[in-house]
This record gives sequence, C-alpha cells and structure tokens, in this order.
Amino acid sequence: MIDFLNYLINGALVGLLYALIAMGFVVIYRASKVFNIAQGELVVFGGFMVWWMIVQAGLPMAVGIPLAFVAAIAFGLAIEKIFFSRLVGESVFSMVMVTIGLLILIRGLVLVLFGPAVRPFPIIFPLKPIILGDILIPRSLLFGGLITIATGLGLSWFFNATRTGLRMTAVAEDHQVALSLGISVKRSIAFAWALGATLSTLGAIIFLSGKSLNFLASDIGLAALPVALLAGFESIAGVLLAGLIVGIVQGLVTAYVDPAVGGAVGSVFPFLIMLAILFIRPTGMFGWKTIERV
Amino acid sequence: MLELNNVEVLYSDVILAVKGVSLKASQGACVTLLGANGAGKSTTLKSISNILTTEDGRVTQGSITFEGARIEGGDPADIVRRGIVHVLEGRRVLRHLTVEQNLLIGGHMEKSGQAVRRRLDEIYTRIARLAELRKRTTGYLSGGEQQMVVIGRAMMSRPKLIMIDEPSLGLAPLMVEEVFNVLRSLKNEGVTLLIVEQNTRVALGLADYGYVMESGRIVLEGAASDLMSNEDVREFYLGLNLEGERKSYRDIKHYRRRKRWLG
Repeated sequence: MIDFLNYLINGALVGLLYALIAMGFVVIYRASKVFNIAQGELVVFGGFMVWWMIVQAGLPMAVGIPLAFVAAIAFGLAIEKIFFSRLVGESVFSMVMVTIGLLILIRGLVLVLFGPAVRPFPIIFPLKPIILGDILIPRSLLFGGLITIATGLGLSWFFNATRTGLRMTAVAEDHQVALSLGISVKRSIAFAWALGATLSTLGAIIFLSGKSLNFLASDIGLAALPVALLAGFESIAGVLLAGLIVGIVQGLVTAYVDPAVGGAVGSVFPFLIMLAILFIRPTGMFGWKTIERV
Repeated sequence: MLELNNVEVLYSDVILAVKGVSLKASQGACVTLLGANGAGKSTTLKSISNILTTEDGRVTQGSITFEGARIEGGDPADIVRRGIVHVLEGRRVLRHLTVEQNLLIGGHMEKSGQAVRRRLDEIYTRIARLAELRKRTTGYLSGGEQQMVVIGRAMMSRPKLIMIDEPSLGLAPLMVEEVFNVLRSLKNEGVTLLIVEQNTRVALGLADYGYVMESGRIVLEGAASDLMSNEDVREFYLGLNLEGERKSYRDIKHYRRRKRWLG
C-alpha cells in the first residue's frame, strides 16, 4: 500500500513536470497557432543558459537564474524576429516547417557552443527528499509541481480573461481577423515565443536540478508531447490534468507491469495513450473542437 | 474623409486586381460599392485596411487618404487606431470564443478595462440580440447572428468609418433586413459607412452614393437614387426593365442585353 502511494505521488509529480513542458507547446500554439516541434531544444537551451551562468560564469543563483531567464526571453524574441515576422499570413504548415528547421538549428548551435560533453547541472532544489512516514518525495519535483500548478492556473486566466490574452487568442484563431481588428500579429507571436522559452527554462531547472545536462535532454520535449495532445492544444488548465493522468499511469505501469514483462512498457505507455487519443478524439480532452455548422 | 485616388493593387507581383480606382466617402455618408464576383470590390476594401499583406498583395499606384493623412501601405493596427475598421467577408467570428469574448477583443484598443465594459454595454443596448447571446459560443450561432457579432465587434473600437464586405451574403431576407437595420442605425448616428454588396436593391436603399465596379475599374457612379433609376443598373443588377416590372430573360435575345458602358 505504501509502495502504491509512493508510485502514485511520484507519478503525479513527474506528470506535472511533463505538464510544465507541455505548457510551452500550448502557450506558443495559443498565441500564434504554431505547433513548435523544437520545444525540447528550447528546454536544452534554457538548461545550458542556467548552467553557463551558474557553473561557468560562477554567478550566485539569485543572479544567475534571472539572467538565464532574460537570455531565454531574448532568444525567444530573436526567433520571432528572424524567422516568424516574415511569415505573418502564411499557412500554418510553413510555420511548423520552420520549427523543424529550428530544432536542427538549435541542436547544432548547442553542440557548437557547448560541445557534446555531459555537464553537471547546478543543484537548485536541495537533493534531500521530503520524507513523510514511508513516503519519499523529491524536493525538486514537489516544488516544481507547485510552480507548475500556479503557472498553469495563472496562464489559463491570462488567456481567457485579460485583454492581452484575448488578443493572443484572436491571433490563434485567425491571423487575418486579428489584423482587421488592429491586433499586432507579430507582437503576439513574439510574446508567445518569449513565454514559451521562459516556460522551457523553468522546466529545465526543475527537470535537471542536480542531474547532468547535455544536448540529449531535449527528449523531455518528446515525453511531454502526449500530455499536450491528451489535453488538446488550446487548453492550458487541461494540460495540468492531462499531465497528472499521463504521469500517474506511467508511474504505475513502470512499477507493476515492467517487472512482469522485463521493462520499458512504462516509457512506451504515454505514447500508446497518445495514439489512442489521436484515434478517438483528435482534439484532445479540452481542445477546441472543429466547429462545423450544417 | 476617405479618398482613394487612382489606386492600383497588385497580387503576387503579377495579378492586377484593382486598376486605378478612385472613390470618395465624406463624413457621415453611406457609400456602396457594387459589382459582380471578381470585380475587385473586396480587394479595394483590403487595400484601405491594408490586410492585403497577408495575401501577398500591395498598393502599387495611387493614394489613399483618410482625414487628410496618407494611409496606403500602413500598419493595419495603425489604420484601426485612426478609426477605420474592416468587417471581412464571410462572417469571420472567432468561432471558439463566446459572443462576449469576441466583442471584448474588438474593443482591445480601449485604454482601461472599464472603458471596454462601458462600450460593451452600449453595444448590448444597441443590438439587443447580442446581449441575449453573450455567453454562447459564436461558432454555433446562426448566420445572421454571426453577422451581428462581427458588426458589433467592429463597433467596439468606436470607428469613424466602418467598411463592410457583403453583410447580406447567404442570409435569409428577413435577416438581411435586420442586419441593414443595424447599419441604418449606425448611419443615423453619423458613422461613415462603406458597404460592398451584391444585393444591389438593399444596398442602394440604404446608401447615399454608389459606385459600380467591373473587372477592377469603376464603370459607373452616382447618387443612389440615380443609380436606382439607371437603365443599365436596373437591367443588370436589379433585373427590371424600364417599366419597373420583373422581366423574363426568355423574352429577349441575349445580344440585345448589352451594357452601355465600357467594361
């Protein structure tokens, strides 16, 4: 029973981490209608910024982490300026193709700048787990989970209720209508990328705290994909729930099914969920349904 | 107030869609732009709001002035800020959002949240239908209701000039009447209107002045009442003969149905 609780809680917390990374997908989608394939690379970039500021430059955390966020935001804005500002009004497909290019580009850039070596990531959350009776909870995941929930609810409110958020929602619905109402599509896309890069850096900090970092950390982006699809690309609060579902299922499957079959089912399972979702309900649990009037 | 002088619009650097259009809408007037499909009416409106850029089009010749300032090729957001709002063809509501969210987005340029709320209430009193529908998702509304939403959304920005592209498209006659009643109330309030229509009768009923476009040019213009009685407009756009009776095209030979202007 205690084991079960342990798996459950840890699964849920890992799920929330996925949710945070998935939020990066959703935020960029919600403000620009672009599905960003290079989300994992943004996490790696954010991670390396943190590593560079704290380990390489030796800055104290209170200075280094904010600086890393600033660098990530600048990087997000640069992406918009260089690649997307020319594509306003172009088909969404061509924008998504650009993100594939970005994936390859950022990966190359990281290799050129930082090399393929594995680097120790600074310990941002103390490694000592929180112990409640027999239940062990890693601090980084617990704090990360709380940050994720707060961020998710905050962003959800932002997009549905504030004027800036609604403006971005309009851009996600229809670039031309947004323009006809005097909404700056470019500014909205720039904001989306800055926000996406910020969330990725936040994700990198929670995911990598006390672990090691190299360019392969971008796999977390892939792991978060089922969460974004399960939630539906437009729903930020939905990502929290989808993250919990995927995390818990993965945790329990890893604990109970893996030993019986010799492993690896746990890491495949989220993708099985993803395939099932694509078959049954392609818009996800909370996504915008395609409205057809008959 | 708004003046187009010899405007030419080129798409993709090869297709000349508008070939030197000049038109004028003075303060408080209601001007209509008539013509068949592909005449260049919508493109003319897009050249004013400058959302041509999203379609790889641009104004290559001529000038567009609004309240004395040149606006051709300007930033669409800046044009809206100056007081021109463009209601696109085909009832382009933001489908997944509610009526109220649609309207709030229309008022996004207001300075404070309270100002937006005030404007929202004004719109709700003006178009009572929208107040009833405020919480509904716009994608599921009927065509006429969607048309009301996009007009209301445009009004949210307190425009001086509203350009509307085919408000009657695909609507039942009763809905057309309702939509035009809203437009009439706007006109009475002093908002300048530029309406593109294929429903000539309704449009000329509301407008003070009209232009007829054909293959990228203006071929005829005049006061709405003059156009109403113009022989060619009656014959080709209203389907009436000189006596004002509906005519059957079976009775005439097609070569006699020749327009008197040069297309």
